[in-house]
Amino acid sequence: MTMGALLLFSLISVSGLSGGESAGPELGLRDNTPRVHALIGAKVVTAPGKVIENGIVILRDGLIEAVGSELALPADARVWDLSGKTIYPGFIDSYTELGLPKDLQTPKKKPAPVMFGARPPPNQKKPKPEGGAEHWNPFVSPQRNALKYIKLHPKEVSEMREMGFAAALIAPAKGVFRGQGCVVNLSGKSINNSLLMEKATQHIAFETNPWTSGIYPTSLMGTTALIRQTFYDARWHLDRKTAWKAGQSDERPETNAALDALTLASDGSQTILFEAKDELDYQRTARIVDEFDLDYAFLGNGHEYRKTALLREMGATVVLPLNFPEAPSVENPDRSLEISLEALQHWDAAPANAAVLAKTGIQFSVTTNRLKSPGKTFWKNIRKAVESGLEEEEALAALTTHPAELLDLSGKIGKIASGKIANLVVADGNLFKEEKSKILSVWIDGQRYANKAADAIDPRGTWALDWKGVEGPTEWKISGKPAKLEIEAKGETFSAKLDAKTVLAFPPAALFDLGEGIIQISAVLDDNRWSGTGILPDGKVFSCSGERTAPYSEEEDADMETPKEERQLPEFTASYPAGAFGKTGILEQPDTVLIRNATIWTSGSQGVLQNSDMLIRRGKIVEVGKGLQAPDGAKVIDASGKHVTAGLIDAHSHTAIARGVNEASHAVTVEVRVGDAIDPTDIGLYRELAGGLTTANLLHGSANPMGGQNQVIKLRWGEDAEGLKFQGAMPGVKFALGENVKQSNWGDHFITRYPQTRMGVDQIMRDTFKAAQDYERAWQEYRADPEGAAPRRNLRLEAALEILNKERIVHIHSYRQDEILAFARLAREMDFTVGTFQHILEGYKVADELAAIGAGGSTFSDWWAYKFEVYDAIPYNGALMHENGVLTSFNSDDNDLARRLNTEAAKAVKYGGVSEEDALNFVTFNPAKQLRINQWVGSLEPGKDADFVIWNGHPLSTFSRAEETWIEGRKYFDRQEDLRQQVIVRQERRRLIQKALAARLKKLEKPEEEGAKDNDKPSLSGLKDGFRSIYHNGESLETCSGDEGHHLN
Amino acid sequence: MKSITFNPRANGLSFWKAGLLLVLLSGVCAMARANTTVPAPTQDHPIILKGAVIYPVAYPPIEGAQILFENGKIAAVGKRIKVPKNAEIIDVSGKRIYPGLISPNSLAGLVEIGAVRATRDFTEVGDINPNARAERAVNPDSEIFPVTRANGVLMVNTVPSAGAKGLIAGTSALMKLDGWTWEQMVVKAPVGLHIKWPVRVSGGASVFTRRAAYSPGTKDEEKKYKKSLRKLEESFANARAYLKGVENASEKPETDVRWEAMIPFLKKEAPVFVHANRLEEIRAAVHWAEEEDVRLVIVGGQDAWRAGDLLREKNVAVIVSPVMALPLRRWEAYDTPYSNPAKLHESGVLFAIANKGNRGDAAHERNLPYQAAMAAAYGLPKEEALKAITINAAKILGVEDRLGSLEAGKDATLIVTDGDPLEIRTHVEMAFIDGRAIDLSSRHTELYEKYQEKYRQLKSE
Repeated sequence: MTMGALLLFSLISVSGLSGGESAGPELGLRDNTPRVHALIGAKVVTAPGKVIENGIVILRDGLIEAVGSELALPADARVWDLSGKTIYPGFIDSYTELGLPKDLQTPKKKPAPVMFGARPPPNQKKPKPEGGAEHWNPFVSPQRNALKYIKLHPKEVSEMREMGFAAALIAPAKGVFRGQGCVVNLSGKSINNSLLMEKATQHIAFETNPWTSGIYPTSLMGTTALIRQTFYDARWHLDRKTAWKAGQSDERPETNAALDALTLASDGSQTILFEAKDELDYQRTARIVDEFDLDYAFLGNGHEYRKTALLREMGATVVLPLNFPEAPSVENPDRSLEISLEALQHWDAAPANAAVLAKTGIQFSVTTNRLKSPGKTFWKNIRKAVESGLEEEEALAALTTHPAELLDLSGKIGKIASGKIANLVVADGNLFKEEKSKILSVWIDGQRYANKAADAIDPRGTWALDWKGVEGPTEWKISGKPAKLEIEAKGETFSAKLDAKTVLAFPPAALFDLGEGIIQISAVLDDNRWSGTGILPDGKVFSCSGERTAPYSEEEDADMETPKEERQLPEFTASYPAGAFGKTGILEQPDTVLIRNATIWTSGSQGVLQNSDMLIRRGKIVEVGKGLQAPDGAKVIDASGKHVTAGLIDAHSHTAIARGVNEASHAVTVEVRVGDAIDPTDIGLYRELAGGLTTANLLHGSANPMGGQNQVIKLRWGEDAEGLKFQGAMPGVKFALGENVKQSNWGDHFITRYPQTRMGVDQIMRDTFKAAQDYERAWQEYRADPEGAAPRRNLRLEAALEILNKERIVHIHSYRQDEILAFARLAREMDFTVGTFQHILEGYKVADELAAIGAGGSTFSDWWAYKFEVYDAIPYNGALMHENGVLTSFNSDDNDLARRLNTEAAKAVKYGGVSEEDALNFVTFNPAKQLRINQWVGSLEPGKDADFVIWNGHPLSTFSRAEETWIEGRKYFDRQEDLRQQVIVRQERRRLIQKALAARLKKLEKPEEEGAKDNDKPSLSGLKDGFRSIYHNGESLETCSGDEGHHLN
Repeated sequence: MKSITFNPRANGLSFWKAGLLLVLLSGVCAMARANTTVPAPTQDHPIILKGAVIYPVAYPPIEGAQILFENGKIAAVGKRIKVPKNAEIIDVSGKRIYPGLISPNSLAGLVEIGAVRATRDFTEVGDINPNARAERAVNPDSEIFPVTRANGVLMVNTVPSAGAKGLIAGTSALMKLDGWTWEQMVVKAPVGLHIKWPVRVSGGASVFTRRAAYSPGTKDEEKKYKKSLRKLEESFANARAYLKGVENASEKPETDVRWEAMIPFLKKEAPVFVHANRLEEIRAAVHWAEEEDVRLVIVGGQDAWRAGDLLREKNVAVIVSPVMALPLRRWEAYDTPYSNPAKLHESGVLFAIANKGNRGDAAHERNLPYQAAMAAAYGLPKEEALKAITINAAKILGVEDRLGSLEAGKDATLIVTDGDPLEIRTHVEMAFIDGRAIDLSSRHTELYEKYQEKYRQLKSE
């Protein structure tokens, strides 16, 4: 550990005994109330699974002195008889935002999607500085110390105690590097006396700014890049400071509180709680924590059950919210179409999340966070989780020992043991299993805090009453709810209410044989004793007394309460992604496959072969030709009358990119990586497979001149993000020219970012490359003479450098011939490789120039006129480029168009008379070559991946359909199988809708159950926060209409 | 080769023979002419196209047939027809003849360049605009028209769109894609009154509902939905009151151009086109139309197949717009939109097929036949797919007496192709609108010519 880290580490200390001495002077009389208590007679659960029946807990001066079954009671102890009660260790909420100002809390409402061309709403303006030497980016505030902001409101503290919480982590929830949390005892006393640990945790979330804000980052990939760069910066900053202090360097480092504060987390001495907004954030986080070797845990989201394998492999611990969605409103059959199968499944599965994690051996704690009214739902949901298979001990651990471990406070809290802080919960039953059980009091630092339930009385039951001064019925049966009691006597029923400990009853005078009128009775209850007085209609006073002869029994109200159903564990299908058309496990790869009697479009030297066969072994093509023999056991597919082509390749796609296709803030963002934001749940992948697509080039958008790094994927639907990546594909980057990067069509509010002209676009690119060269020189100098601190690692310039080193090729979004030529000249000057000009709708005007620099042209077949710079676009573009030496492909740039690239290719035949074979290559071999992946894919030739499509007719015919789509010898799409899946989807929906309907009807019978609205509604939508979330339906991004979408893609 | 200016009469050659010659020479599937948009003169002599397979649509294809048209109307179709004296006979052996294709839901004419506000004329301010007439803002010199007709789409129904909050967008007009003025281009106006049905769950595939992001039906949206419905009902009630006033001679109301524009639709002289995609909206619209006693056509209709029986029973036609779309919902089968027409056909619902009808597709109307082809690839019989962009469209737009099939007495609006027009690889070689031979060159062929010349020059250097 470095000096600096040591210094900082000493700042963290576990506070001493709270409630003890304070530094301040006594004002008024001293309080020397003895602080010794003996809690006797209770069932003491000292730790999960450890119970002392009839135990004794002795507290002294805020600590637990002793716990056991046979202890001598200290003479000075105040004795509490807790017979029939249960004592648990004080509960710990592993994540809260209690007492923090609103802007440091998670916003209650999701911001509305930002419309294209809209003025940034006021709340998207750059945040005000919080003071000190801040980071340049307002989203990076690791120095933010929750302690400095906490103002606990007595009400929120008592609400927490009502739920049994004695301590809680309080953490800021704003930005990417959000700051440090502290652990506080919920005594409600001043922070001086209630703090357990300062700077207990660092908090990171994959937060983004609205893309119109212009504030970096506006995308998930930007956020990931920011996190990565910031950790490098923190380490570099520390080294520089150290070098300066040691006199090894004359260069005075900048003052940067953010980077200083991050030292703790970056060297692993402070746990980082990563907020996982969805199930995909886990893998993203894994990549970061591996890169920097961080100590971390997750703030979860409730979908962990889908990612148990990964979480287990990571050895991660998770803080679980109990935000079970309410039953989807399926009453209206037409509207219920809008509820996705995935949402239905999640509603069904959510309560079992914790149980599944426990069974998988993933450690977790729970939090009240993410519940809108935790007071009403937290315990209800804990019990739901237990009903769904979570062991009581596991649930208790999630509230006690696990959070204590997570927060590194095991020595102080989490168990009832000698020497620990005297945080306890007293309940009147088993909180985890008995619905009626209540938390009577919470002890914090050895002081008792009574809950509302402690004073509550329940008058219900059967009472035997003696009357003085009047002849009344001797047996009363009281039932109903405390707010509206019902009393039955002599066959009459009348109402009563509870007022504190007094029952106010209003029997009709007739019941007393006294004619008309109402009798007023008020009776004070003390456990099972009744002493009351009353006034008759005529004013005569009487009294009554008695006792409870039988407790209230549930059965009497059985017809009112719904019978408790046996809760069935949801059927966890192993298919992934969840919802419709997911895949179960890794697909079978038959050892040998022989396709027979097909028309095979090889896209290779063999051309088109009639009545031919293709032999595949272990995912690779072995041979294509006539009369091939199948070895024993081979899977033989008779493709008579069918056509086989190579799997189609889309050189321009935005499918499966999560939370932002554009890092739309800075003009240069080449450090961002699409590979950080892959969304394997995008149903677009499956739908595109159904159109014969097997490989796609996922590109950053075109909102800025030097965008982000691309990711080539194979459409291995069912795999996770990493599993989709095309290993070995040439790294690339997306640049863009023209109207989009000049913000021409963004609306009148976007006129200040450099560049606003094509002149400036040219210059900022050139300048960035020059900066990259300067950067390289600085490193070379340092390596030659490594004195002092190393130069700062600059991931942005490193990416630019990779381009200059030809380790990364450029895919340049471009339209007009002037900008195309200018870029070709820049490429020549700076000597980098242009993989493709994208869109390139005026490529036909300068095909010779494209050919001269060996760049490919990846264009639309026939789009035009959607903006001014494409007014000269013509459908002959592909043919003209092709004829004049440009390696040409047709792409989709669209989740729908990507489903029929084969017929897009046909347009090259129509417009310009390209041969059918060459035209098909526009969507097979040519894009493969453009992406430098043609050694594996793009044609059906021996040695290549067995990525192919079986069509029911000519592949360029509009009447043809893809029947089967294979990747590496695995069948990822099969129309017949799809038709079967459609039936399964319908059945599964029916089953879950039936189940939800039952739950909804129950709810409808009960008038507006409180708390019912608290929980998450299953989302009908894929669009959250202005971004499409995972499990979306292919909505266009960052724009509000499909056709506008093309502006920025 | 530079561009060719060509006057068939002056050359004494048959116009069409020369045209075909050029097609063969240049490889361009259209007449190559410098002036893209010179409208053709009125047909002044009878023309016979002979030797082709004729697809009259109204009845089965006829091989080796002839079609005679004069004065802009089809005079005869058949194997043997009486040849008028002055008839020009064009041999189109080996070719096929189809009626001109009709795009029934389009923004073409009301937008030139989607991103350029100055060229957008499709959405008027406010939510009740029944008086907005599409035809009056159609730019006859739009570069989009020559490009569109070059692929056989000879008519578009130009439809104004409602804005994000709009309800009644205005009236549509069926335009033939050739003429000196918009007035000459009008086949029929108004075709229908266009209403964007309010959506509870926003999203979808038509021009009207594409704008808003998908979002759950929140309470706010529920309120908005009800408010919109009330407003719609109110508008129709007001229009009816106005109509009563107008018909009652003693107290004529002062003119209200909005309610005045709605009279033909209240009198059921033309249908009301309701743009709706989701089942709930479609059902609501059907119910509403019955209550209002108006003729209904559903446009968009992504869920129409789910309401097949209802639509057939109530005699409601559908313009499926479009076929090539993503399913409305994640859980739906990938081919849900593709198979929508086949299912409507099985249910016996009258339907036509359109592109998206949004501003992006205004310039891409030429791809209309491929929408129909996709439906055929997913179960719709091919001849029904052809009907969906010819006779069915004509029926729904109220022009089946003039267009949509090749029958004596109908307009001579037709195309000559070298194959099935639903196949992309097919070329449209000739087109006639009202018997007038249409120039098939366009901005696209001109630029193609121009830059072919560039490379010819480069190679000869």
